Amino acid sequence: MRSVQGRATGRGEPWRIRDRRSGGLAALGLLLVLAACGRGADRRPVSPPEADRQASAPAPSTATADSRPRIVILGDSLTAGHGLPSVDEAYPAVLQQKIDRAGYDFEVINAGVSGDTTAGGLSRLNWSLQGDVRILVVALGGNDGLRGVPAAEMERNLSAIIETAQSRGIAVLLAGMEAPPNYGPVYTAQFREVFRHLASRDHVAFLPFLLQGVAGVAALNQPDGIHPTAAGAQIVAGNVWRVLQPMLAAAKTR
Amino acid sequence: MRFVLRMAVRELRASWRRLVFFFACIAVGVGTIVALRSVVQSARAVLGQEARSFMAADVIVHSSRSWTPDVLATLDRELAAHQVTARTESVETPTMARPADPGSQLARVVELRAVQAAYPFYGTVELQGGQPYAYALLARQGALVGPELLTALDVRVGDAIVIGSETFHIRGVITREPGRVAGAFSLGPRVMIADADLPATGLLGFGSRASYEMLLEVPPASIDPLVTALRRDFANQFISVRSYRSSQDRVGRDFQRAENYLSLVGLVVVVLGGIGVSSVMRVFIHQKLRSIAILKCLGARTRQIFAVYLLQVCLLGLTGSLLGVGMAAGAVAAVPRWTGGADSLFAGVTWGLTPGAVGQGVVIGLLVSVLFSLVPLLDVRHARPASILRDEPAAHRRDWLAAGTIGGVAAALVALAVWQAGSLRVGLVVCGAFAAAALALYLMGRLLIRLVRPLAESRWFALRHAVLHLVRPGHQTNVILLAVGLGAFFVIGVRSVQTSLLHELTVQVSQRDPDMFLIDVQGDQVAGVTALLAERSSGASAVRVIPVLQARVTGVKGRRVDLRGYGDVRREGALGREYTITYRDRLEPNERILAGRFWQGPSATPEVSIEQSIHDRFHVDVGDTMQFDVLGRTIEAKVTSIRSVDFRDTRNGGFMFVFRPGLFDTAPHTYVVPLKGPQAPAARAALQHRLAVAFPNVTAIDVQQILNEVRSVLSKVTLAISIVGLLVLGSGTLILIGAVAVTKFQRIYEAAILKTLGASTRTVAAILVLEYGVLGTIAGAVGALGAVGLTWGLSRWAIDIPWQGPTLLHLAGLLLTATLVAVIGVLASADVLRRKPLATLRAE
Repeated sequence: MRSVQGRATGRGEPWRIRDRRSGGLAALGLLLVLAACGRGADRRPVSPPEADRQASAPAPSTATADSRPRIVILGDSLTAGHGLPSVDEAYPAVLQQKIDRAGYDFEVINAGVSGDTTAGGLSRLNWSLQGDVRILVVALGGNDGLRGVPAAEMERNLSAIIETAQSRGIAVLLAGMEAPPNYGPVYTAQFREVFRHLASRDHVAFLPFLLQGVAGVAALNQPDGIHPTAAGAQIVAGNVWRVLQPMLAAAKTR
Repeated sequence: MRFVLRMAVRELRASWRRLVFFFACIAVGVGTIVALRSVVQSARAVLGQEARSFMAADVIVHSSRSWTPDVLATLDRELAAHQVTARTESVETPTMARPADPGSQLARVVELRAVQAAYPFYGTVELQGGQPYAYALLARQGALVGPELLTALDVRVGDAIVIGSETFHIRGVITREPGRVAGAFSLGPRVMIADADLPATGLLGFGSRASYEMLLEVPPASIDPLVTALRRDFANQFISVRSYRSSQDRVGRDFQRAENYLSLVGLVVVVLGGIGVSSVMRVFIHQKLRSIAILKCLGARTRQIFAVYLLQVCLLGLTGSLLGVGMAAGAVAAVPRWTGGADSLFAGVTWGLTPGAVGQGVVIGLLVSVLFSLVPLLDVRHARPASILRDEPAAHRRDWLAAGTIGGVAAALVALAVWQAGSLRVGLVVCGAFAAAALALYLMGRLLIRLVRPLAESRWFALRHAVLHLVRPGHQTNVILLAVGLGAFFVIGVRSVQTSLLHELTVQVSQRDPDMFLIDVQGDQVAGVTALLAERSSGASAVRVIPVLQARVTGVKGRRVDLRGYGDVRREGALGREYTITYRDRLEPNERILAGRFWQGPSATPEVSIEQSIHDRFHVDVGDTMQFDVLGRTIEAKVTSIRSVDFRDTRNGGFMFVFRPGLFDTAPHTYVVPLKGPQAPAARAALQHRLAVAFPNVTAIDVQQILNEVRSVLSKVTLAISIVGLLVLGSGTLILIGAVAVTKFQRIYEAAILKTLGASTRTVAAILVLEYGVLGTIAGAVGALGAVGLTWGLSRWAIDIPWQGPTLLHLAGLLLTATLVAVIGVLASADVLRRKPLATLRAE
């Protein structure tokens, strides 16, 4: 009876109304984003303007007039910076800072799409390889792993991505992923083997695990346990940088 | 004392014919209260049970990380403080299952759930073939699996499968599982194992993704405090807490709405019943005034008179109430026949009178009878017999006893409401609202009567007389108006709340909802996928193909906002997140254009239509230009329309941004394919298997089970609301009939006089039709207007549903009330019309 005049909950705050509504969507709204990603971005507090200014590196995507040679990072939500207040805190932006600081003249293009699989990456490869692309960083596979896509299928797609890029004279950096241990020893081993196998080809630079030192560490991940925080993204950028830097050096001397 | 008894018995015996009618009216009032409250209580119990079995527990604590000692210590403390009676743990994780046969290459993603012996607290796990569920089936490497797994792995019950490093034996096939709400969708079939076997699989370790649930059984009163306390304790800690009636998920919300509706009806019914009983009692006493005067002339003392009539009132009230209980028992026994008996949704529910409802009904019948007869009886004390006999209105004077009695009656009524509501605050609020409504209705009635007064100048004799009757002093117009107006008000009000509520529910239980989603379908696979689904054998229907892309807003140029570059957008918070966008050249049925115009056909000029919430939150308007980053490219699009999307309608999905076709034709994007799969588990499993083989990258997400659960709960809610609504309508009408019919006794004398003076029966009938017609129209108008206000208030403050404004229903309610009152008024007076005037005059 308390409820006859008890006011319904969840009114008033636009945040909640949106969340509540989309919760009502049986699945679609949720599914369209990567299955496990949820809508973390909405619930995170907005960073204060001060913090913004400090971190405001040039937004990679808006710098269309840039004529520098490009490094394209073909990735998923980890690359897109899902759940971070800004794409400027995702690891490609951090990588750009490292490149600038090291004096190399490259523009990093963040071609990360949340929820994307290796199949999706292959479909949009040509769209993403616009302009003077010198290096392609392939950072896909996370969603294939979360959905349990067969390893053979993933290998086919990644292989086609690498071949297409190489046929256009673009150097490839393959960033490996791991399937979470809850998928069982057989699948995680097959999954790991896909990257090892592809990396053994000629002219593919290889980073065995993109999230090395970040995955599984609560403090470096967002509450969903999948996506790195800004601090986590710094470490991821460091991982990529270790493999990328020698490639840049080689490209410079060439 | 003997005199009092004898007198009362004599009086009752002398006028028993007339009293039968009074009995019936009281019985209808009390019967309504008893029957409805019983049904409402049964329905609430069923719904509560249903909502609990939907969750399998009263409260669930969910964590995306394993329980740490800190968290467990806090949990222990709070659970002890809130008298939690039982708890059990459950772990869920997606993983791979393969046949134990080493020759097989098959594997399938499954949703593994490890449970303990106490699971589930509510509901039952249903297995194929009617096999009963017992924890023993899981113990020692047993597994219960979803039917799709058998097809996907080509295994049967009795075969072994490998999960992680452990082998499990399939011991049954799950068809229904309580408490499967956490993710609301699944990547694969369910595999249920014993919690004790989980460690041996080796699946949970560093970096594993799993969700941990603590299911709790909690005494009803502790649920809300416990949830509040836990939410406070675990703020920002990856831990969420919900109860079976929490308003976060939609079933909980609908359940809460239905609860509120039912308790509202429970209260309204008491008021309706009270109106019925009180109007009868008022007329009864009025009828007795003459006898009282005669008794006074013969020397009866006030105290004796008082006792005689109070005793009669009590007898009448009590027997009427008991008759009402009997009627209610009959009505409630008939409920299963409406709901379809044993096959119905409510199979297994015992519909019967609850002792609480019977007690309340009888006490209310008696109390209301006594309370409403006290005031007119008190008036009699001072009245001189002569004035009563001459039918002169009694002179007004200050009477402290009467004033005190009225105060006491009011207090008793408030106490009654408080008792009914089960809370002092709610009771007082309801009484206040009721008093305000009654006052408003009374004033409105007075106003309307004043409006019809000019009709008394009419040249038509019947109309002139009818209107004069209404405005004449001593006439009970106001009282009837109040009773009928209030009755109409509640019936129409309850009815329109019910309509809104049911409308809301039908949107949600639509059978046409897609129950499977194929995601990550690539452009070159669309033709193949649709061809496969179009085959008859696939069993799929309602297939749609929706292109989707991911985009970020990077700037807005507009009149009210100017966000230059990403830094500005980011300051707007959620606007900067990734949005899933689509393009098409038509609106979906769940969309409405609020401003601007929706385009027709493709165009190379980029145009975008935004959802209302984007407009409201970020002040983006029609004519503004938005800048998007789509897959690394920047696109500027003009906002040409603002749409509202009904997000409850899941068939068509909801997109914040819809683009005009043409722009993304060459852009790479994937497709989402919502469809309605075959309902038979085997056919469904076969379809998913075929898709997985032909399109390995495509993931099928199956929401059938969860949808079926939601539908099952919501159809019960719907049915319960409809039954209760029907009862309110039926009994409300009966009560109104009683309240109107009882006024006929005042007409007898007037009709006789008119006839003696030469009026024909037709003229008298015309006067009656007009008089009651006008009265009914006024009461109906008062009721309908009140109902519009009531539903507005309720949908805004209590039940949380969209308000629909005055509808056809209100108009129909008005007309029906008018017709009903006119017809009843004339029918009830039929004997007056037929009777010879002399007989009436002599009897008086």
